[in-house]
Amino acid sequence: MNEQRFLIKAVIKKSDEMIYFSQIDLGLVLERALRRAELPLYFTQGFRPRVKLSFSRALKLGVEGEEEVTFYFSKNITPQELQEKLKKQLPHGLTILKIIE
Amino acid sequence: MIDFKLFQHPQRYIGNEWNVIKKSHNKRIPICLCYPDSYEIGMSNLGLRIIYSLLNDSDDIVCERAFFPGEDFNNFLLNNNQKLFSLETKTPLANFEVLGFNFNYELNFVNFLYILSLAKIPLFSRARKDLIVLGGGIANPESLADFVDVFYIGEFEAGTASFIEVLRKYKDKKSRLEALCEIEGFYVPAFYSAELKNDKYEFNKIYSYAKLPVKRTYVSNLDKSHYPLKWLTPHTAIVHDRVPIEIARGCPNRCTFCQARAMYYPYREKKAETVCRIIREIYKNSGYENFSLLSLSSSDYSQIEELIDILFAEFKQKRIGLALPSLRADDILGKLYSKLHLLRKTSLTVAIESANDSLRNHIGKKIDIKKLFETARLIRTFNLKHIKLYFMIGFKEETEEDLRAIGLFLEKLNQETHLSLNVSINVFVPKPFSLREDATMAEKDTLLDKINIVKNGLPKRRSINISISPVEKSILEAIISRADRKFSSVILDVSKASCNNRNAAGNWLIWQEAMSKNHIDCAAYLKAETINFPWSFINTGLPECNLKKHE
Repeated sequence: MNEQRFLIKAVIKKSDEMIYFSQIDLGLVLERALRRAELPLYFTQGFRPRVKLSFSRALKLGVEGEEEVTFYFSKNITPQELQEKLKKQLPHGLTILKIIE
Repeated sequence: MIDFKLFQHPQRYIGNEWNVIKKSHNKRIPICLCYPDSYEIGMSNLGLRIIYSLLNDSDDIVCERAFFPGEDFNNFLLNNNQKLFSLETKTPLANFEVLGFNFNYELNFVNFLYILSLAKIPLFSRARKDLIVLGGGIANPESLADFVDVFYIGEFEAGTASFIEVLRKYKDKKSRLEALCEIEGFYVPAFYSAELKNDKYEFNKIYSYAKLPVKRTYVSNLDKSHYPLKWLTPHTAIVHDRVPIEIARGCPNRCTFCQARAMYYPYREKKAETVCRIIREIYKNSGYENFSLLSLSSSDYSQIEELIDILFAEFKQKRIGLALPSLRADDILGKLYSKLHLLRKTSLTVAIESANDSLRNHIGKKIDIKKLFETARLIRTFNLKHIKLYFMIGFKEETEEDLRAIGLFLEKLNQETHLSLNVSINVFVPKPFSLREDATMAEKDTLLDKINIVKNGLPKRRSINISISPVEKSILEAIISRADRKFSSVILDVSKASCNNRNAAGNWLIWQEAMSKNHIDCAAYLKAETINFPWSFINTGLPECNLKKHE
């Protein structure tokens, strides 16, 4: 990997209608939210690049829960910028509880 | 509140997509678009999205959606005596003023009646008091004439404004239908009689202000026509998980078996700059990562090279996937050669239809086999691994040799290019409004014989995958698409059977039973070497359609 990458960890809460969406769906929802937020994205390598994200553990389908997500960016952004821009793009039922680092 | 986790794919019923439109019904006219197939398939339909967005653009209209439910959700509704409801506000379908249905696939006609019964709405048009059922996307509406109050024949974008105007002005069903039937494109079956006399259909108006013939309508300026920019984005993968961007509508080619040419006539394009603006806007609103350029034949799009250049330059950094289906083999050799590697493309699809040159010419398909071979060799350099090929059999002029040629052709192509081949062999169905609408459909035994000849000639190689469309299903599609008003009783019976058997619509025996019970001889629909059909009251606007009417 030649490109520089910058990591921000956050805790995200899944509630209301969003509890019916799987872990794979959650990745998709966050990827599209990040794209809409026009943040400097960092992509996975390979034939079909995706926005890179990693999860600490998978949440169960059908119940509320919190989990740690690591966001990867190609430029250094402040946690405040992430929180402000992403918040507007998250569907009802997904909330950023806190930014860890 | 229903606990949606009891069902498979709960997102089908929730209605919380990004950009979903939720309005209160207070002082608004509520319309529900119903798709007679699953959520995943319906949400991949561009027409549904255009109409949803167009109707909701009017502040005094609230437009919502409903789909054919999965088995578990269906059972839940039945067991709990609940009525089918819309996704957005969970309003029972019976509480809407208009239900719009898409009828682009014949075997889904049964699902349409099933949706009405799940919503506890009377199936027959004459039995409904206020609610209006509007049907669209259909070529020959006659088999549904008893159930649908009004059909829109053509592209609904052209009729939306006048439809809304009528709903605002008139409040009861009778005056609404009377007003609609005077507007081009709207067909109210109850205002006409259609009778078969001496092997000829006679169409007459019962209500004197109705129009005869019924003219198909279309958008005259595609470049300026409405596009759903606030793209409804599901929080889960759907069947075609990319945003289709319509670059052209219609097709300038004249393949004789093709119905789409008539349904989308005439050929129109959006400007390259308009296409780019639409993609830019939808990306901003949805964050979608895959787009596909949609048309019946992208090779014919006049600004194709320019468009690919602009899009690629703009979206490369954002890693947005661009797909370009429906390319002709000769374009890859020619103008698009240098562009192909820019696109995210894993396969090439060629609808070759026949392995024999003269038969292919006969059905109007212009493909140069030599060029196809050259292209196939060339595309290996782009890291492409397979080709998808479509063949069609069942033509009257086809010989045994033509059928055997399919196997020989595949063997040669596979040997010379080492590409794996996905081959799909379909049966010719003489669809209404195609240039071969007056052809007789081959009989079941003949088709089975033909398929056997093809099968015996196919090379046995692991790198060649063959799928052959089931003959009975093709015959059913032919019957339903060509049927007249009498056939409605058959659709009704099959729909009743589908209450106990969800696969009834695809079961030949159930259809056969319903046809014999209702004294319908399906052979009469399939033998049709005449110029008069159940759908002859419609004028598609095609040049040959006007010619024929004068004969």
